[in-house]
Amino acid sequence: MTDTLTADVADTRMVRSATVESAREASSIEMQRLHKRFGRDTVALDGVDLTIRAGEFFTLLGPSGCGKTTLLRILAGLEEADDGRLAIGGRDVTEVPPHRRSVNTVFQSYALFPHLSVRENLAFGLKMRGMPPEEREARVAKIAEFIQLGDLVDRRVDQLSGGQRQRIALARALVNEPDVLLLDEPLSALDAGLRSQLQVELLRVQKRLGMTFVFVTHDQQEAMVMSDRIAVLNGGVIQQVGPPREVYEHPVNAFVARFMGHDNLYPVTARSGSRLSTPLGELTAEQPGKGGLLLIRPETLDLLPGEVAGDNHLPATVAERLYRGSHAEYRLEVGETTLQATVNNRGRQLPERGDRVTVTVAPGDLVTLSE
Amino acid sequence: MRKRTLRRGLTAFWWFTLAFLYLPLAVVVLFSFNASNSAASFTGISLRWYYRLLGNEEILSAFANSMVLAIVSSVIALVIGCLIGYGMYRHRHRKLGWLIVLIYLPIVLPDIVFGISEMAFFVQVHRLTGLLQPGLPTMIIAHVTFQIPFVALIIYSRFVGLDPTLFEAAKDLYATPAKRVVHFMLPTIKPALISAFFLSFTLSIDDFVISFFTAGPESATLPIYIWGAIKKGVSPEINAIATLMIGAVAIAAIISLVFSRRRPA
Repeated sequence: MTDTLTADVADTRMVRSATVESAREASSIEMQRLHKRFGRDTVALDGVDLTIRAGEFFTLLGPSGCGKTTLLRILAGLEEADDGRLAIGGRDVTEVPPHRRSVNTVFQSYALFPHLSVRENLAFGLKMRGMPPEEREARVAKIAEFIQLGDLVDRRVDQLSGGQRQRIALARALVNEPDVLLLDEPLSALDAGLRSQLQVELLRVQKRLGMTFVFVTHDQQEAMVMSDRIAVLNGGVIQQVGPPREVYEHPVNAFVARFMGHDNLYPVTARSGSRLSTPLGELTAEQPGKGGLLLIRPETLDLLPGEVAGDNHLPATVAERLYRGSHAEYRLEVGETTLQATVNNRGRQLPERGDRVTVTVAPGDLVTLSE
Repeated sequence: MRKRTLRRGLTAFWWFTLAFLYLPLAVVVLFSFNASNSAASFTGISLRWYYRLLGNEEILSAFANSMVLAIVSSVIALVIGCLIGYGMYRHRHRKLGWLIVLIYLPIVLPDIVFGISEMAFFVQVHRLTGLLQPGLPTMIIAHVTFQIPFVALIIYSRFVGLDPTLFEAAKDLYATPAKRVVHFMLPTIKPALISAFFLSFTLSIDDFVISFFTAGPESATLPIYIWGAIKKGVSPEINAIATLMIGAVAIAAIISLVFSRRRPA
């Protein structure tokens, strides 16, 4: 159960023969102006335009009710968009029912059939598509080996642990060699340790198969670990699409910034050239931009003991310090304003609560964004 | 000390209740094996009343009627009740309150009212169309009507107990609507189907009142036969029939109970 997938050469070759050789090419997904309403006044999707590239690990990230699950269900065909167009691998599937789409889903609840054994669960999709039993058995045996659950295939579903169910659900989808794999918060029911272990496994599986994965989560940490690109959704609208680092370091608006875990957001009250007036004081930004909001990422800050004058030097008082081993998190008071800082502990005296310090930030690390 | 007294009292009460429920049945079972034909004294064990049953054509025909009625009505009720149960599940989010009440009403309606209504209805239909002469077919229809609510309820509860994403998983795994029924829905609710069938079966075997009002001259069931025979006094033969019925119903009820509790394997 605790074995991880080892990425040796023989294993990779086995995987190829198991899934890639006979598989179709990974598929891209194109969404145009997708709209979805529930009832009269719940807007789940409000004009979603999005292209997901073939072979990409793509994450739909957002709070509950943001429309990410609805979007995934539309990709699966379990929900029909009210308006807009959806193409998978260049083929328009807007009105194609789920059982005729080459797309499979790993459900949050796993949805393993309780009346079937693990083996029968794995073979279900192949059987429904009319694959002859011998071929089916061979494919199931290969996928079970690939996912390292060969010894579980004759168990009943209710004899499996949560982590095992999760893997069986993944294998049951992968064995069909879909063009696209959809994952609806597949790890959210697992405890933290197992969860991060399965994150790594899932990522390895995706990279080795080169399959297009669309992953739904509300956990920005998980999204950043897993994804090639992330789309942040709110209120049925895509806020930002980009690689994890871009979304984290250059959020386009306050919602994305807050959702990615940023607290240091300050209104820009005035600006002249690269000089910004903020509640923290006057700051110089390399690219001042136009946005009315200044983002200071906690890890870009440094602390100097005592009061040191200089450009982008802010006098502050330590209000709180959380020691985290490799680094420490500080809550600082700059005048009336609070500022969070995450500072490496290496080779420094750690300021104590109540100490006067000077916060410094490089002009290049200051980002402005719109409200 | 007082606690112990209380516990003893409760245990005694439990045995008293059991005796209250089952002693009458035990008397019937015991006397069905009585060697003499006295209803008062037990003189020895014998199977003569059971042999006597085998030679009584009236009883054999009543037994056959009961079985045909129970099996045919249960099968029909299973099909209809299953569809209703599934429909109730599919549309459970809509406001169906009063429709559900209509389906359950027969459960609480007094049998005698139900029986008389069925009889009056069949008489009218017969008068107008010449169809539905009282007999097994009318009894089957009447039994189906009171079995349906039980079947629908059992099937509905089974569906409600399922993870709704299972239906979506079946779609997602390429199952067409027909294949979803054959490979997912029916196997998943199989225990409920078996349970519902045997419950319907026992309800039908048990029923006297509704059968009585809807039966024709040729279609007497065991309860109707017993009722007729008893007017001439309780013969040990009746005890033997009753014992067989207790056995049959108990077996069907146990099967129903076992399958209603079983998780699908």
